[in-house]
Amino acid sequence: MNETTNPTARASRRYLIEFGIAMTAYLAVVGLSVWVLRHLVTSGPLYYLIALLPVVPIVFVLVAVVRYLRASDEFTRIVQLEALAASAGITALLAVTYGFLQGVGFPKPSAWWTYLVVMVAWGVASPIVARRYR
Amino acid sequence: VKNRLKVLRAEYDWSQRELADRLGVARQTIVALESGKYAPSLPLAFKIGKIFGKTVEEIFDADSVD
Repeated sequence: MNETTNPTARASRRYLIEFGIAMTAYLAVVGLSVWVLRHLVTSGPLYYLIALLPVVPIVFVLVAVVRYLRASDEFTRIVQLEALAASAGITALLAVTYGFLQGVGFPKPSAWWTYLVVMVAWGVASPIVARRYR
Repeated sequence: VKNRLKVLRAEYDWSQRELADRLGVARQTIVALESGKYAPSLPLAFKIGKIFGKTVEEIFDADSVD
């Protein structure tokens, strides 16, 4: 078995390719849907359907993540799942904290932040978790 | 779990990358195993034993397990 046949190395490579394709598709779909909503469809059920189109490539990002985790070796999977659990905890804590601040007049944030916080926290937690096993 | 992985790898003159590729795992998995901070699953432990032609007990120190 060499680096090209190592299933874990292959999983990482495949993940990067799939993630890249999904993000490229996401940018294209966002651009397209914004343009259509501005120029072609301005009301009706189709308006909402087109506004939701960018979710489709995001689903492919999540599928790529799951495929990566399932194809990785046991240690990589443990590290990534611990980091993912940490990111869920951080997101929940931030949500509760901000919820209390909203109670005393802070503005309503966009629901967008949840996705962003989960992903960023996962990215930050991953090397920290891996470090504990060195 | 304390183990002789690093010593065995040196005897075979394999890099961490080379052993990782032979086991089908990431290099950081070898780092974690060699540090003794990560205990492998039974299938991975048997695979490691097979690669070095040794039993699991000859590689991993059973007395170091809590």
